[in-house]
Amino acid sequence: MSIAHQFEYVKPRTLREAVRILARYGTGARALAGGTDLIGLISDGVVAPQAVVDIKGIPGLDRIEFKGGVLSIGALVTFSDLRNSPIIARRFPVIREMTGWLASVGIRNRATLVGNLCSAVPCCDSGAVLLVYDAVVQVAGPAGKRRVSLHDWFVGPRKTVLKRGEIATGVAVPLPKPKHGACFVKLRRYEGEDLAQASVTVLALAGNGYRISFGAVAPRPIAGERIEALLEGEPLSDDLIQKAVRLVPEEIAPITDIRATKEYRAHMVGAMLERGLRAAVARLAGAGPAYGTSLI
Amino acid sequence: MTKRITLKLNRETRSVEVEPNDILLDVLRDKLGVKSPKIGCERGDCGACTVLLDGKSVRTCLILAIEADGQEITTVEGLSQAGLTPVQQSFLEHGSFQCGFCAPGVVLSATELLGRNPHPSEAEVKEALAGNLCRCTGYKPIIDAVLAVSRKPGRRI
Amino acid sequence: MTQLKVVGSSPSRIDGLEKITGAATYVDDLSFGPDLLHAEIVESPYAHALIKRIDTSAAERVPGVVRVVTGKDFPYRFGLYMQDRFIFPSDRVRFVGEQVAAVVARDAKTAKRAAKLVKVVYKELEPVLDLAGALKDDAVLVHPDLGNYPRCPWFFPQAGTNIAHYRKTRKGDVEQGFKEADVILEDTYTIPRYAHCAIEPHAIVGLYDLAGRLTLWSASQSPYTQRHVFAQALAPLGLSHKDIRVVTPYVGGGFGGKAGVSMEIIGAALAIMVKGHPVKVRWSRAQEFYNTYQRQGVIARIKLGAKKDGTITAIEHTLHWDAGGYVEYGANVVNAVGLSATGPYRIPNVKIDSVCVYTNLPPGGPYRGFGYSEFHFGLESHITRLARKLGIDPVEFRRKNAIREGDTLAYGAKMNPSGLHEAIDRVAAEIRWGHKESSTDPHKVVGKGFACFWKAPAMPPNAASSAFIKFNEDGSLNISASGMEIGQGYLTVMAQIASEMLTVPVHRIRIEPPDTDRNAYEWQTVGSHVTWGCGNAVKAAALDVRGKMFEVVERALGLVRDTLFLEDEKVKCRARPDFELPFKNFVISGIQTPHGNFIGGPILGSGVFMPEFTSALSDPETSQGGHPNVHYTVGAAAAVLEVDKQTGRMRVLKAVLAVDAGKAIHPELVKGQVTGGVLQGLATVLYEDIRYDLKGKLLNANFTDYKIPTALDLPDEIVPIIIEVAQPDGPFGARGVGEHTMIPAAAMVANAVEDAIGLRIKTLPITAEKVALELRGIRYDDVKGAYMGLCFAGQPDAYDFRTTSAKKK
Repeated sequence: MSIAHQFEYVKPRTLREAVRILARYGTGARALAGGTDLIGLISDGVVAPQAVVDIKGIPGLDRIEFKGGVLSIGALVTFSDLRNSPIIARRFPVIREMTGWLASVGIRNRATLVGNLCSAVPCCDSGAVLLVYDAVVQVAGPAGKRRVSLHDWFVGPRKTVLKRGEIATGVAVPLPKPKHGACFVKLRRYEGEDLAQASVTVLALAGNGYRISFGAVAPRPIAGERIEALLEGEPLSDDLIQKAVRLVPEEIAPITDIRATKEYRAHMVGAMLERGLRAAVARLAGAGPAYGTSLI
Repeated sequence: MTKRITLKLNRETRSVEVEPNDILLDVLRDKLGVKSPKIGCERGDCGACTVLLDGKSVRTCLILAIEADGQEITTVEGLSQAGLTPVQQSFLEHGSFQCGFCAPGVVLSATELLGRNPHPSEAEVKEALAGNLCRCTGYKPIIDAVLAVSRKPGRRI
Repeated sequence: MTQLKVVGSSPSRIDGLEKITGAATYVDDLSFGPDLLHAEIVESPYAHALIKRIDTSAAERVPGVVRVVTGKDFPYRFGLYMQDRFIFPSDRVRFVGEQVAAVVARDAKTAKRAAKLVKVVYKELEPVLDLAGALKDDAVLVHPDLGNYPRCPWFFPQAGTNIAHYRKTRKGDVEQGFKEADVILEDTYTIPRYAHCAIEPHAIVGLYDLAGRLTLWSASQSPYTQRHVFAQALAPLGLSHKDIRVVTPYVGGGFGGKAGVSMEIIGAALAIMVKGHPVKVRWSRAQEFYNTYQRQGVIARIKLGAKKDGTITAIEHTLHWDAGGYVEYGANVVNAVGLSATGPYRIPNVKIDSVCVYTNLPPGGPYRGFGYSEFHFGLESHITRLARKLGIDPVEFRRKNAIREGDTLAYGAKMNPSGLHEAIDRVAAEIRWGHKESSTDPHKVVGKGFACFWKAPAMPPNAASSAFIKFNEDGSLNISASGMEIGQGYLTVMAQIASEMLTVPVHRIRIEPPDTDRNAYEWQTVGSHVTWGCGNAVKAAALDVRGKMFEVVERALGLVRDTLFLEDEKVKCRARPDFELPFKNFVISGIQTPHGNFIGGPILGSGVFMPEFTSALSDPETSQGGHPNVHYTVGAAAAVLEVDKQTGRMRVLKAVLAVDAGKAIHPELVKGQVTGGVLQGLATVLYEDIRYDLKGKLLNANFTDYKIPTALDLPDEIVPIIIEVAQPDGPFGARGVGEHTMIPAAAMVANAVEDAIGLRIKTLPITAEKVALELRGIRYDDVKGAYMGLCFAGQPDAYDFRTTSAKKK
């Protein structure tokens, strides 16, 4: 099952070294963390890097920390790390919920959340979930460090705002000040592992605030701003839910592809939004289905 | 440009020359002589290539050999050296496998699960095994075998 | 009737320990040393094109490349039932992905790089990518030379058309039968292609040594048939069976996909071209999808008539099969269905037309069920619909019409003993048929669906099995036969049969995957027939051994052989209760007489089983007169299905399947076939969804987008029920069950969907998406996008089934 394409392999020992190498090669270099996306791309001949830069030797990137009301997830944190983290389970249970439907244990043990954000695939689960938290990606580059709001992070399918020589070092997720309940609903073709044909994330904040995001129904994960505005300040009711569902076609732009039709995606986003809203609000009240329960 | 990597394979220190584009699965099978991790799909979808890397199940078809420098790998050959583990014994008693091609991967995924969680629920067993595709058995005898170990008191892997 | 000690129990699998320790060896695990060469295939990007020119010069110049092979090196056709296939075609390609050349190199990376340098110039031809187009008068021909292809005598290709075979069965008078019916229902069902997805991809290593001996190590269900096909294909090079040896280790799943010969011929051919060096061809997962056999797609029209009391009077069943670019094996699928597409029912007036159509898609071939999984979807859906139209309960309707022993089959032969009524009754009871279930979730409804099934092995009339048995000094014994362990437990079952006959415990019996040079002949491990066929051969070999043991004891010790019997691995004597002779004392060394000489010597036996009663000769216009099918295995199944009306998502709460095994030699293995088969069957109806673009390229040749079941996809409950109405000519009454357990799944789910939500879906798969959209008045076909699941472009209900050779005749 060999890879015919030849490349160099470098394993920098510091972040500064990594940045220098990435800057030197430009688009000819690819950062390698878990490799669950990159290795397949190289095998298929989709990308042909001159150098693969293994960042797993850089210290300090593998931490999950919660300090000052902000969750920091380092670039080397895997989905299994998130799934097994008491901090995540306690403070951000919807992130844990998302990991349960992402690939399988053997992939989650390697795949990193930050790597998933960098892949920028339209069906990116972590991008959709972190959008409702207004997460911020931390970047290091030749010009120093910068922070990019996740809302500005994705440019299009497989494209982020990363510039030459830059590398994402982590993501910061602020814990909302009000209490919150959340729900992540992922449309798959069956119960087994699948890429999302659509996803809906709902954050219900105490005081009737809402954050909504959609995955796999646009070129990138998107926020449901019109629906958020509609719901803002209102207690949830059947009538309000139906109004929100009717706004869905204005928020999303699904396509028909090998995985699903745009008609089904659009219909299901409505159903998932409805069920997700109810579940998130119930969880906010300390009730509702346990995180990890499939709603569809 | 080859590099010499050193790793521990089934508790034995092994050293091998690899090129950057060598896949770990190929190096294990062709250069290091362990045949239990299998080539099934080359995309990390089927789990037949699973090994324990520093104790965690991984898909070796998606890992470059050079990345494993300095790490520890356990395959089913390593598990069986001191006789069958309790989960292997349970698989045998339950007639869990038919063609057997998925078995090494399943054994390791189950081993990882029981090492982390000695008494998993049925849902946890299914989640742990969901990445190992089996076309033959319908999974029931596999799940039953792991649950049988789960129900035994005490710590077992 | 003596009590059976081993047959009917469930001992530990003989191969169990190997498989959980990693000791089990498959073809790709074998080591051939540093001289092993690697091959990479150059494939056609077109569904139909002439090959104008192949320039291999650049590839040949790459250091490490040993040889580049194309069709000009092997201009011979091969095939199992008809020779319509090429090792590498030299004139034209017939499906996207077909092999056009191979680069053989010292290492896999070099082969891969060099393969990209092979330049092929094609002239595109209009592809045949629609069944209607394949059958029209001026259709583009996939095989213009069809008339010249050698074929078995019971196949009827129509030269000058794309009809590779046409099986017609005519019994009674359907027109009269429909006149007698009070209610008639006619409709069309569409079943797409499916992929086997065994976890082990196909692989072969070939070595043509310097002495002219060709050995193949192959992941195959059929070592002897492979040897035969290789011998036929390579005869122009002077090779024959004596020169060819096929060794088959454990196989990582077959399901029919590793039967016959598909990619393996490439390994044999390349070995010839690099004489003296072993060469490996290993298929990638993608190639596994598009360049091995696929389960054929089919569009079927069923017209069924019954009297108001529920008696079926007539059936007209027309099936047009999308059989792909080569049908050397797939034509027999079409043939098998043409004989049996009545389903397990007593129907006096029958008209079946099963048409095998060449198309420019990958070759169709054997897949668990061999056409029966394909046709039962339409038939069992239709049976339930006709029952409802009559106002009769669908299970009661089936009971009334269920076939019985002695009934006349569609082609004139008689039905074997079988427990179909018992299967129906027990499944109906277990599923609580008639008792409506519901969900507390306001979105969800629950329905139940029922289906019967049957299948016979589809084999040539001389598909034989044979076995040797020999002893070892310690009294253990070896069975040498050539059935294949593909997971079903064949090795263990053969050992149980020998154990029962000879009293040697199963764990002291050695039987291993075969080698055609060392092991006795077996036609193929297909058709769910080896328990029966090879089991009979092993039983016969055991009887032979027993006879020889008694003969030696009589000759050496004067005990009358009719008084001898075997017990606990000893020869004992009814007339002399104190006499016992342990096997290990004489099975190699012989029996020493008081004079000091030894009588006897190594005890070995052989057995052959040939189904001498079957024949494929019959009237080509009616199929009357032959006895082409050795016997049928029957059964019934049902499912409880929960449907979410908002999302279309379906969950099988319970599946029950009863199969008449005749005698379950190893009940746990039979149940294993039920669990595995039910899940595989459910996958074909609920989420396996093959997609070709409209140019014939397979779009989802991977597990990311062709979903097969995971541990999370099991129904809440699967209940296997074993029925045992003995098969008179089976070993201990046994007959096969391996394929049958997936056959009813699609129809029972379709019936459950209708029961739950009132929607009748006549095309597969029945996905959540399709259900959700159809519930909202959106026809899935209208919005699905530009792809197809089988070679068919139009609306099924508008398909004209008369576009057949009727005009050409």
